[in-house]
Amino acid sequence: MTDSIPPALVCRDITVRFGDFVALSDVNLSFERGCIHAVVGQNGAGKTTFARVAAGLIRPDAGAVAIDGQPMPLGKVREARRLGVELVHQSFALPPSFSIAEAMEFGAERFGPVFSARGLVNRWRSHLEALDIDVDPRKSIRDLPVETQQSVEIARAMVSDASILILDEPTAVLSPTGAEALFERVRRLKKNGVTVILVLHKIREVLAVADTVSVLRGGRLVAATQPMASLSASAIADMIVGGTSANDDDANALVGAERPRHASAATTGATAAILQLDGVSTLADGEGPPLDDVSLELRPGEIVGVAGVEGNGQKTLVRVIAGLAGLGRGGIELAGIDVSAADLAERRRLGLSIIPFERNSEGLSLNSSLWENWSIRSLLSGRLLRPIRPGALREQSDAALKRWDVRYRSSEQRAGSLSGGNAQKLIFAREVHDGARLIIAAQPTRGLDIGATAFVWQALRDARDRGAAVLLISSDLDELFDISDRLVVMLSGRIVADYRPPYALGAVGAAMTGAEA
Amino acid sequence: MNSNFITILRAAVFVVLALALCGVIFEFAGYSAPAMFTSIAEGAFLRSGGLTQSLRWAIPLFITAVGVGLSFRCGFFNIGAQGQFYAGAIAATCAATWLDGAPALVLVPLSLVAGMAGGALWALWPGLLRLRSGTDETITTLMGNFLATLLLIYVTTGPLKDPSGSGQQSSSRPLAAAYRISNSLGLSPTIIAVAVVVGVLMWLLVNRSAFGVVASLAGRNPVMVRWQGAKVWWLGLSSFLLAGGLAGLAGTLEVFGPNGRLVGGFLPAHGFTATLIALVANLSVGGTAAAALFFGGLASAALYLPIMAGLPSAAIDIINAAIALFITARSARVDRVLGRLTGLASSRGKAP
Repeated sequence: MTDSIPPALVCRDITVRFGDFVALSDVNLSFERGCIHAVVGQNGAGKTTFARVAAGLIRPDAGAVAIDGQPMPLGKVREARRLGVELVHQSFALPPSFSIAEAMEFGAERFGPVFSARGLVNRWRSHLEALDIDVDPRKSIRDLPVETQQSVEIARAMVSDASILILDEPTAVLSPTGAEALFERVRRLKKNGVTVILVLHKIREVLAVADTVSVLRGGRLVAATQPMASLSASAIADMIVGGTSANDDDANALVGAERPRHASAATTGATAAILQLDGVSTLADGEGPPLDDVSLELRPGEIVGVAGVEGNGQKTLVRVIAGLAGLGRGGIELAGIDVSAADLAERRRLGLSIIPFERNSEGLSLNSSLWENWSIRSLLSGRLLRPIRPGALREQSDAALKRWDVRYRSSEQRAGSLSGGNAQKLIFAREVHDGARLIIAAQPTRGLDIGATAFVWQALRDARDRGAAVLLISSDLDELFDISDRLVVMLSGRIVADYRPPYALGAVGAAMTGAEA
Repeated sequence: MNSNFITILRAAVFVVLALALCGVIFEFAGYSAPAMFTSIAEGAFLRSGGLTQSLRWAIPLFITAVGVGLSFRCGFFNIGAQGQFYAGAIAATCAATWLDGAPALVLVPLSLVAGMAGGALWALWPGLLRLRSGTDETITTLMGNFLATLLLIYVTTGPLKDPSGSGQQSSSRPLAAAYRISNSLGLSPTIIAVAVVVGVLMWLLVNRSAFGVVASLAGRNPVMVRWQGAKVWWLGLSSFLLAGGLAGLAGTLEVFGPNGRLVGGFLPAHGFTATLIALVANLSVGGTAAAALFFGGLASAALYLPIMAGLPSAAIDIINAAIALFITARSARVDRVLGRLTGLASSRGKAP
């Protein structure tokens, strides 16, 4: 504290507990004004909790926060905003039915009882222009592509001239070019004197944009606002990981230190396709863009990655393969049998397994016990009225969960009490079985820490090596590049490109946004 | 084991809390709460023949409540047991009237089947509306109760009316004695056997069949079950039909047992008490039997209080209402406290 100008944001001895779980433990951080600060760490390291404490969303159990030398009342969003702190959430928080101008006005918190639609639009058009965001303020939030939505979120955060802007994992939903554009925007904000704190989990991105880096691991601070000049990528990687058992290529992909090369190749080539989509188009159903003439073929023993900015039809692709989306035109074959009209039960009988997008709603019943969640697949494989012995099912599920290294106390325990990694392992224990010939893995590592992510990748590779076909949908290009034997890119419900290793980031990134490579 | 224990403990705590609240109300109303509770206990179980009377009321409540419990398990808040109970009684009476003269061994079983079908039919349309177009089943089943009540009044004053009736209470023609399955006390080996068969079959269905596990998973998260390839539609519809069928069976037992005919507006709170029983029992079949006995006791006490003890039978309504209040308003905080109490023991053995 020898400096006469106080730092923009100081956190002292912040501790946050959720029940028995310590999310942050004695975190001391001090962010200088007018710089871009990165906060990195694995999933579950406490990054988001930290961002929320700084923005007044979470009241820490101990500690203090000061803005520009002034103490900030803890856990009060309104006070934090008054002092100039704004947070852009990882999952966007603008009301989808609002127009951009309305969302801005709502965020300004000074709106009167009466306003004119045109007045609003004019008022916020200039704000958007000042931030160099090229979008019509009359458009609805829900009609915006992901990149624009995020720009609008940032514009919303800047309505009250925030002096400290915190972005929580802003790049998670962006294409490489989108991320580059975001960083350019962040640099411009910095030029205007804004202090930017970026919560990131890829070292490459930290190297590209940040002035300082702070590393959290398991809720503890490992490095505090170290200037980037003093650090190498591998030094940061070591601080994030703190020793794991993943192989080197995986480890690099996991922390995003450098672009991975495809590690291991597919084992088989010329056998009959397991999955064949033939010019599939789906009916519009309000759950994402419909598919438009999608053709795709998966053979046994290969992992096919699906890249794309979120919301470009990946969910519809999974639903149509599962038989849960209305098929408009085209045909679907599973193991050589036309299943275009078959229901999901029939498709599962033919060897389809799904690790769905939403682990906690589509994958598990959180309020049901572990053994019920595990045994549903076998329960549904026969007649519903047949007698069962719950004791036997519990034993089988215990054996399976042990094999998959799920950490739990009792098979009667609620699935909702498992950590994200263990919950995903439970789903793998159910879905990845000997009869699984086609495994759809949709964002299988989202929210998992490094150990669990490495586990999932290994499980998918093992399944591939056993002769299953794997369709991996992910928004993480590092993950896709590391384990896919083949890569397709989805854009607006179409498959627009098809690549084989080695993958070129530039080409894939361009295909994701529809730019010519 | 542990979670079952918490469940029983929780139900017990809420019933005790409700009784305590009622005690306060009795005192304020000028009655002695201890005397009131003593009389209720006498009326329900302690007096001679009390237990038999309680069982007479408990059996139809149990049969209806296991059905309600099943539809709750499947995630459908079917509160139309009252209407399904009436619809079953009406259908069974129609069948008996139509088959009148047939041997009892033909007529009675067919009427029981007709009663179940009538109850199931009364649950079918809310079920279809819910599963086909998402209409809230709470509203439709509730409304169905009023429709069935009016239908009952109509048939007992119109098509099925007993012309020789005194007119005080409209009812159908009395069944021939040969068709009755109990005397007017309402308890007979046949009725007990029906209850036992229903109890055992439902226990097997819920706890020892694939259907039971899948249905309870679907009730907690239909999306997940759908992603597993189950036909959630069929699961839901069968739960509606079973619940309706059982309520209809209970209504039929009243007609062929204690009443001996279809009486306009009989047991107007039956379905609601059964719903309450299912909730108190936390939807378990065994718990439903225990809770049915408790509420059957209260029903029996309601008849005993004014006659033998000179106390208002409305006391029982107050107790029912208070329990309903506590069970439906059970708070996360109480759950947390109970969880902590029982968790103290288990947390020591926690795996890493």
